[in-house]
Amino acid sequence: MLKHEVVVVGAGLAGQRAALAAVEAGRDVAVFSKLHPLRSHSGAAQGGINAAVGKEDSVDTHIYDTVKGADYLGDQDAIEFFCQDAGPTVVEMEHFGTIFNRAADGSLARRPFGGAGFPRTIYAADRTGLALLQALWERLGTEEFTLYEEWDLTSLIVREGAVQGIVAFDRRKGDFAAVAAKAVVMATGPFGRVYGRTTNAHSCTGDGVAAAYAAGATLKDMEFVQFHPTALVESGILITEGARGEGGILKNALGERFMAKYAPHVLDLASRDVVSRSIVTEVLEGRGYPGGYVHLELMHLGKEKIESRLQEICDVARNFAGIDPVTQPIPIFPAQHYMMGGISTDIHGATSVRGLFAAGEAACVSIHGANRLGGNSLLETLVFGKQAGIAAASYATSAATPSLKEGDLDAATAPLRAWSSRTDGEDPATLRTEMQRVMDRYVGIYRNEADLLEGVRQIREVKKRFARIRVADQSKIYNVNLSDALEVGHMLQLAEVIVVGAYARTESRGAHARIDYPQRDDAHWMKHTLASKGPDGPQLSYSPVAYTRWEPKERVY
Amino acid sequence: MAVATVKATFDVYRFEPGKDATPRYDRYVLDLPPHTPVLTALLKIRAEVDPSLSLRYSCRSAICGSCAMQINSKSRLACQAPIGPELARDGRIVIEPMRNQPVLRDLVVDQDGFWQNYRKVEPHLILDPRLPMPEGRENPMTPEEVDRFKETPRCIACAACYSACPAVEADPAFPGPMALAKLYRFVVDPRDRGQQDRLVRIQTEGLWLCLRCHLCTEACPKDVRPSERIRDLKELAIAAQGATEYGSRHAVAFKENIRARGVLNEMKLARQTMGTLGMVGQIPQGIRMWRKKPEFLRAPHAIEGEGEVEKIYEALDDHKTPEDLP
Repeated sequence: MLKHEVVVVGAGLAGQRAALAAVEAGRDVAVFSKLHPLRSHSGAAQGGINAAVGKEDSVDTHIYDTVKGADYLGDQDAIEFFCQDAGPTVVEMEHFGTIFNRAADGSLARRPFGGAGFPRTIYAADRTGLALLQALWERLGTEEFTLYEEWDLTSLIVREGAVQGIVAFDRRKGDFAAVAAKAVVMATGPFGRVYGRTTNAHSCTGDGVAAAYAAGATLKDMEFVQFHPTALVESGILITEGARGEGGILKNALGERFMAKYAPHVLDLASRDVVSRSIVTEVLEGRGYPGGYVHLELMHLGKEKIESRLQEICDVARNFAGIDPVTQPIPIFPAQHYMMGGISTDIHGATSVRGLFAAGEAACVSIHGANRLGGNSLLETLVFGKQAGIAAASYATSAATPSLKEGDLDAATAPLRAWSSRTDGEDPATLRTEMQRVMDRYVGIYRNEADLLEGVRQIREVKKRFARIRVADQSKIYNVNLSDALEVGHMLQLAEVIVVGAYARTESRGAHARIDYPQRDDAHWMKHTLASKGPDGPQLSYSPVAYTRWEPKERVY
Repeated sequence: MAVATVKATFDVYRFEPGKDATPRYDRYVLDLPPHTPVLTALLKIRAEVDPSLSLRYSCRSAICGSCAMQINSKSRLACQAPIGPELARDGRIVIEPMRNQPVLRDLVVDQDGFWQNYRKVEPHLILDPRLPMPEGRENPMTPEEVDRFKETPRCIACAACYSACPAVEADPAFPGPMALAKLYRFVVDPRDRGQQDRLVRIQTEGLWLCLRCHLCTEACPKDVRPSERIRDLKELAIAAQGATEYGSRHAVAFKENIRARGVLNEMKLARQTMGTLGMVGQIPQGIRMWRKKPEFLRAPHAIEGEGEVEKIYEALDDHKTPEDLP
């Protein structure tokens, strides 16, 4: 049986940073990832990473912007810790070798981003995530640890309230394995693929969040789903907020710069939820282009600026939409982009299960509250990845030897092996498409009670069908059909939590916009949604938001 | 809005070593709009026709590097290759796994060798404790210093260059275009303290095995231009250590040889590359050549307009790379 002191699941920025911290603490660390670490979705982050390092900027302003961006649902103590650690975190990544853009004086260049009071977003062209991922992987590569590359997480083993290990699936060999671990860090990133229209990679299926939930961990604020305002119409591929940071503007089919109506002060650089709703409103009220979209214009920035600062965007628009942003507007419409919710943790990554830690997009600390600001998620992966790694290492130092039993592997994998022995049943792709249709249709940017009820009903219907899922591919080697089935099973759990939480929250706050409850309701809803797995679906409870210095105000941009 | 579709024929390589005796090609025919990326088509085949087709993919936006494969015999990212131009040119789309990496199954290859080659160039900052990083702040770096990385930070390690490279196929000692482009990225990094050692080491560890065919640059989906960075490394290596290897001595000798007479003196070139002692080992080869083409032993005549050659060299010496020339 495989055995390690600390097992990190996921090898994006959060997982790698956790692994580095745990290795530095002297623990025996294993990293499990279904992708080679350099293929992680962290690498797709484009715009940048926030840190208030400029002379005119301040950590307090970063805190305030984050609190306000979160529509006052973020825990202010966590946000303070987060913003204070931003400068040292960015400097550390620079020392690890990240190639950031520079100002003429040799300091880190900064660009303006949505919802921020100052140009605070440090960047590497429009591939900041890739730059950080490369540097961290190169740094981690100098340390001793075990990489399990291309392994799927199937489940988490918890006994008497404490983590004992994981069960994972080796894609290359086609074998399931139990892995004993004193501490497990879940850093499996987002689960945006519960939606069909998403900027997320195909691999963003929330395996760690679902496994944690299934093993008894509490999830938090799952109904808060960020829709990025600017994604390519057909494919949902992201066009970075940096495009607007560099001066890009949104226009409707009448040629109007419509953000002037919705955010008169900051226009196109309002918070993401505000911009996304504005675009949807324009289209719903008939001012979109036929087919339902608006334009993002960059042409006025000039060829040189577009091609140097927004190089990836140029390639994306040219390759995936057949549009040259130097001479043509880019047709865009919002798409699911980021999950504010996740496994509930404190600032050390600790969850409701002893020995289980989480960080990055898989976790909910919560610093993003009801809406995340651009440039804060890359920072989150590194700040809290490190904290989770330190905490997991510390826990593993004193934790009892995990007790995995002979039958654990069989018990955990018997239902999964049954998928492959069926001769009839539905393909994972069918159920995935069905789930995505339900989420796109009923749990989108604007929500209401009737839609959400229908969403709950239909997701539960798909869950029932999943009991008869069939894996037709009988090969052991690189059986993507089986990996698909594992992922769809995970996502269905999470889709249900999202829609149940959204139905229960009868207010509008941040990214959660209820047409039937258009106002923020601080008297009743200034609280986090907690979800734990019950016999008939998620059981909801609520917990207070931590306040330090900032009183809730109306959120105007 | 109805989009016109085309009938797209895909011939997809299918093989499971150990189970199948030989590879086969399965044909799938789909109606798709011409701008559909190959990856989208393959996922449609998986979802609607054959769920057992095995491939790697993730981001579908050319940033994760998972879906490189042979598309009509070119190493490309499937997510970045629209079907229309392929069909227009070849009438069908042949999909095969990348080359220079053993097939695990169907379109999935074993990349262990690729990653081992990447690790060979020590892909991390080499530090010197005597020159510590600035306490609590970033290293200063000018925008001009950032420009020296050229396009190498864009590399997504998709291995398309590795698949396209004949030197990788011919010689296991060649680390491949991606690894060398990565090495260049560290050599020009002002924070790295290992530049000299890196340049000296790579002279004997594969730098001169590059065939200068530029197929890597043609294959690269991110315009990293590995062959140009290999050329840069060669210049930097000679500047750092002098011409110490067959490869570098050959390059320098070739340059001076042409400069002298405007035409190649092959005897001189061989002697300058291998040294007089090295020439001894070449005697049997020399005899064979002499039988076929005895005139190779004679020194060539100077070409007409010899002075023009010197002007070209002077212009090249003033400018670092041919791209800088007017």
